[in-house]
Amino acid sequence: MSFPESQLEVAEPIDPQITATGLVAGQSPTRLAYNRFRRDRLSMISFWIVVFYFAAGIVSPILVKVGVSKPYGQDQKLLNIDLGGIPSGSWGGTSWHHLLGVEPRVGTDFLSRLSYGITFSLTIAICATVVAVVIGVVLGIISGFSGGYVDAVIGRFIDMTLSFPQTLMLLALSTTGVALFAKILPGEATDPIPNGVYEVLVLGLFGWPSIARLIRGQVLSIREREFIDAARLSGASRGRIYFKEILPNLWAPVLVQFTLIMPAYVSAEAALAFLGVGIPPPTPTLGNILGDSVNFSGSDFSYFLYPALLLAIIVVSFNLLGDGLRDALDPKGDR
Amino acid sequence: MASYRTKALAVATAAALAATLAACGGGSSNANSNTKGGGTLTYYVRSAYEHTDPQRSYLGVEMTNFSRTVYRGLVAFPISSDPTVATTPVPDLATTTGTSTNNAKTWSYTIKNGVKWQDGKAITCEDFKYGASRVFATDVITGGPNYILTYLDIPTDAKTGLPAYDGPYKKDGQALFDKAITCSGNTITYHFKKPWPDFPEAIAALHMMDPYRADKDQGDKSNYQIFSDGPYELQGGTWSKETGGTFVRNPNYSASTDSPNVRKALPNEIIFKVGQTSEQITDQLVADAGPNKGAVTQQSIPSSKFSQVLGPVASRTVSVTSPYVDYLVLNFNRLKNLKVRQAIAMSTDDTAWVAAGGGPKAYKPATDIVSPLVKGYQANLFPGGSGNPAQAKTLLQSAGVKMPYPLTYTYPSTPTADAQARVLQSAWQAAGFKVTLQGVANSDVYYTNIQQPNQAADLIWAGWGADWPSAITVTAPLFDSRPNLTSKSNGQDYGAYKSDPFNALVDKAQNSSSLTDQTTFLQQADQLLAKDVAYIPLDIPIFYMIHGSEVLNYTNNAASNGYPDLGPIDVASSVK
Amino acid sequence: MFAYVVRRCFTGVIMLVVMSFVTYFLFFASPLDPGKFACGKSCPPALIKQTDKALGFDKPWPVQWKDFAVGVVKGRDYPEDPALRKSAPQLISHCSAPCLGYSQVNLINVTSELKDKIPISASLALVAFLMWIAGGISLGAIAALTKGSIVDRGVVGISLVFYALPTFWMGLFLIEFPAIKWGLVAVPSYTSIADGGVWGWLSNLFLPALTLALFYMAGYVRITRAFVLESMSEDYLRTAKAKGLAPRKILVKHTMRAALTPIVTLAGLDFAGLLGGAIITEQVFNFNGLGKLAVDSIQTFDLPTTLGLVLLLAAFVIVANIIVDILYAVIDPRVRVG
Repeated sequence: MSFPESQLEVAEPIDPQITATGLVAGQSPTRLAYNRFRRDRLSMISFWIVVFYFAAGIVSPILVKVGVSKPYGQDQKLLNIDLGGIPSGSWGGTSWHHLLGVEPRVGTDFLSRLSYGITFSLTIAICATVVAVVIGVVLGIISGFSGGYVDAVIGRFIDMTLSFPQTLMLLALSTTGVALFAKILPGEATDPIPNGVYEVLVLGLFGWPSIARLIRGQVLSIREREFIDAARLSGASRGRIYFKEILPNLWAPVLVQFTLIMPAYVSAEAALAFLGVGIPPPTPTLGNILGDSVNFSGSDFSYFLYPALLLAIIVVSFNLLGDGLRDALDPKGDR
Repeated sequence: MASYRTKALAVATAAALAATLAACGGGSSNANSNTKGGGTLTYYVRSAYEHTDPQRSYLGVEMTNFSRTVYRGLVAFPISSDPTVATTPVPDLATTTGTSTNNAKTWSYTIKNGVKWQDGKAITCEDFKYGASRVFATDVITGGPNYILTYLDIPTDAKTGLPAYDGPYKKDGQALFDKAITCSGNTITYHFKKPWPDFPEAIAALHMMDPYRADKDQGDKSNYQIFSDGPYELQGGTWSKETGGTFVRNPNYSASTDSPNVRKALPNEIIFKVGQTSEQITDQLVADAGPNKGAVTQQSIPSSKFSQVLGPVASRTVSVTSPYVDYLVLNFNRLKNLKVRQAIAMSTDDTAWVAAGGGPKAYKPATDIVSPLVKGYQANLFPGGSGNPAQAKTLLQSAGVKMPYPLTYTYPSTPTADAQARVLQSAWQAAGFKVTLQGVANSDVYYTNIQQPNQAADLIWAGWGADWPSAITVTAPLFDSRPNLTSKSNGQDYGAYKSDPFNALVDKAQNSSSLTDQTTFLQQADQLLAKDVAYIPLDIPIFYMIHGSEVLNYTNNAASNGYPDLGPIDVASSVK
Repeated sequence: MFAYVVRRCFTGVIMLVVMSFVTYFLFFASPLDPGKFACGKSCPPALIKQTDKALGFDKPWPVQWKDFAVGVVKGRDYPEDPALRKSAPQLISHCSAPCLGYSQVNLINVTSELKDKIPISASLALVAFLMWIAGGISLGAIAALTKGSIVDRGVVGISLVFYALPTFWMGLFLIEFPAIKWGLVAVPSYTSIADGGVWGWLSNLFLPALTLALFYMAGYVRITRAFVLESMSEDYLRTAKAKGLAPRKILVKHTMRAALTPIVTLAGLDFAGLLGGAIITEQVFNFNGLGKLAVDSIQTFDLPTTLGLVLLLAAFVIVANIIVDILYAVIDPRVRVG
């Protein structure tokens, strides 16, 4: 969801996120918000699911290193080669050794692949979110605090970014972009790192405008407050005012934005994998596993189901978590 | 370059795909002969046809479909389940299969009386000559086969290497062309620079020498216009790239000038539907409802759907060996050590490759780059099988290289190709290689990439099918360094293989006027390639196709390049 | 107001010019040779060079960009090669202004190419838009009115699940199960109103539009819910309630009006984005709209088509932004255009 910047002067903030988050959040003690959040069962469930995914994402590379998880192992003996290489046995070849069955064609343990896929999908989503949030916050603060000419220029820039057909550009430039990163980044020529860097940068570079706009709105009201005046009068530099005075007051909306943008990037990774952009196999991501599994709806239902389920759960949990955070940080929510 | 494997969403370009023809074992189901004609046949196509202009189409399936319906040539391949018969030309618009003189350097044909275009005008010798002349307009008529640029007796410009005639639009050098192809009444004579003993096979397979009406030619604007001389004509006259077209009866076609061995033209209407994925097409044909009862497709059943094609549904499938061979190219700019190349070949697990690709219903293991259905095939050129990593490791150690030896394998990425790459990777690594996989999602970009002279991959996937059933259209265009290697491109010699003894054998083959001699030289050349490990054959794809329950006389044979043959096909009454 | 619109249009045009320039630059920074793609199988370098020349790709990119810009204003004739145009006038195809170039892959000028595709993408966008607006607003209002209940949780949760599943998965699922396996609807293939009547047009749009609507709906459910809740707690509504107005009347007359502003904003931009083609949905359902053309043109390195699409899509968004701003002023009298 993106909200357009406009040259309209609005009597009141109309962005639901601005109102909902509430500028007063900074004043209300964190403790209050924390208690509110803990009382919301749905948010707590989402929170633990998200924690679980993060844990899986962190642990699985360790398990791969140790050799417990084998996302690149293979065993074609588990497959029915005459039927096109679908797993023999019921429910995708589920057994004690392969709790979620094995992958068709190759016979890789599906649990290993999915959990390793979560690692890569989350890494991409987090990095892209960080890029978008950092750019958005910095430009938002500058734009809101400076006003005037600087504000107008950044406003135009936001307009332009928003009207650029981003998916099209992302696709069009992928060959060139990946080749470029392969050249400038260290490491082996065929590691998926250049593809990952390209994906992260492009997602992030197109994702910041809505954040910048939101932050600008917040800054506009913060800058009129007494403590900013005080800082200014005591001769603090601009940089100090931006990052020492204003930024700490913005952590609530930034946190909420983070949890709402990240799931969008998890989905975006999947969509891009379908279009052939992103991390190439054999490295698993939820996106490229899903892109293959959609064709098996009739012949290997568990292979078809699991990746979609995993993706849906993480995206929904993240969104609910974001909503919960917003409600908790919003004192109006108690009314 | 023959590749039929494109990502489901990738666009198949004629540039990257190729045309083929070769003999395939015929296959048919419910072949009965109580044919009455009529009805509507639906034909599903996944990727758009890039051209329908006879001089520009180069895809095996386009050529066979249009041959049987709208484009007649001097000669044609007959409908037959016997691969030899199906690849022996019979007369079509000409009275004979051609008479050659002057050591197979001159060919002449006489055009039948009473053959007409769809507007009722007679087909003349000049139409044939005009059709051939279009191939020379290389700035406008792109994408099609251009063999006659090098064969026809026209001098070439020393600087560019292009012929001195530049086609019927600019007309520079028209006099030279008029001397190379001559018309006398209804007889057309072609004069070549070098012997072309299988010229009739070439023009039965490819449309490059088909007649074309000068007054209908608008260059690029004619790309999707079909002006028919066959039993059908295109409704509206213009093919839609994205959706296809409908063929209806051509009132000016006279069956008496044609042979039922080539075209029976039974359905009243053939509707081409372009654009759905192989999975969707298969599912609809399995469901067999409504108009899909009378439907066929050029797509093989994807391996993810094999388990749904069992029992009664299986009786509606036909499985034939395709004319293609998939192979690995070894990059000679990087793999200079023969022992390393041998170790790669020895540790290549062909059995696992075939299994990951879908098993015996999808692929047969290959042991030669030349298809078994093409003259010049040798059964035991490569061992195939699951390889011997242990022995390969010993060999690699004896090569005195640092281990693990790094390798990069590049291939056009699809879910199936990714799985296949992973099994190859694991076998090679067992033999002491460290393998990085480089899948390229965009198949058009893939072919451009692998032609780069500084290509960084060691192993390169490629697929090929003979243009006509002779090894001269396989090993020669793929490994002769002279036409392929330039400073800017490796052409189709993706691995930059360069061998004087090999080139000499190709020269001998090209200059022999007897097909037997030619085949012997080509087999020797192929043995040389095997000894140098210039390539590793992987598989021969199987065409495993399903059709609706009301389709009659369904066959996939050598004459139709392994695709459904529209010559004899018919639909039963309920879809009429 | 008028001056404001003129100013916005002017900056829009400048943005388009800059974009076309950037696109040209980015494409020519790429190592791929467009001539190679057009030339075909077994093409020796001399032939590739000739193809490049025939297509005008041999000139430096700023010159090509200039030719393009002139074409937009004055129109152009193809093929590029003047010798060919002179000796074989039957080959000439005129591309009248605004000429966006000539696709060497689809062998048609880009302007007519885009003109053919716009109705398909627009139909899809329109039907999907109506579906998600109707669904999103009503479900959002229901959720707000039943805040905290199982209905509220269910509506929000299910709409989120649909948002979470990628559109390609949803689309393929809808083709595979309702259309093919269960035979409930025909496998969609775009039919224009002229060919199939309104019913034929609509029924073929149902599944792809549903795919999009399910994806977009979640955002609208959420916004409507948030705004209805918020405005229900506002003072004037309390007054209205105290005055004894019927709850339904309050909802429709006061609450929805407040929610309308952000919905218009979001909807305007979502719709404009979709007008430019739903890349994945068109791909999955084989609808030959702008989105599918975009993917195809990129894969075949069809620069003129890609460029035309970039500009068209950007223009849609720019115009939508202007319209949204104007609508703002109409809906909410507090807003002043300045």
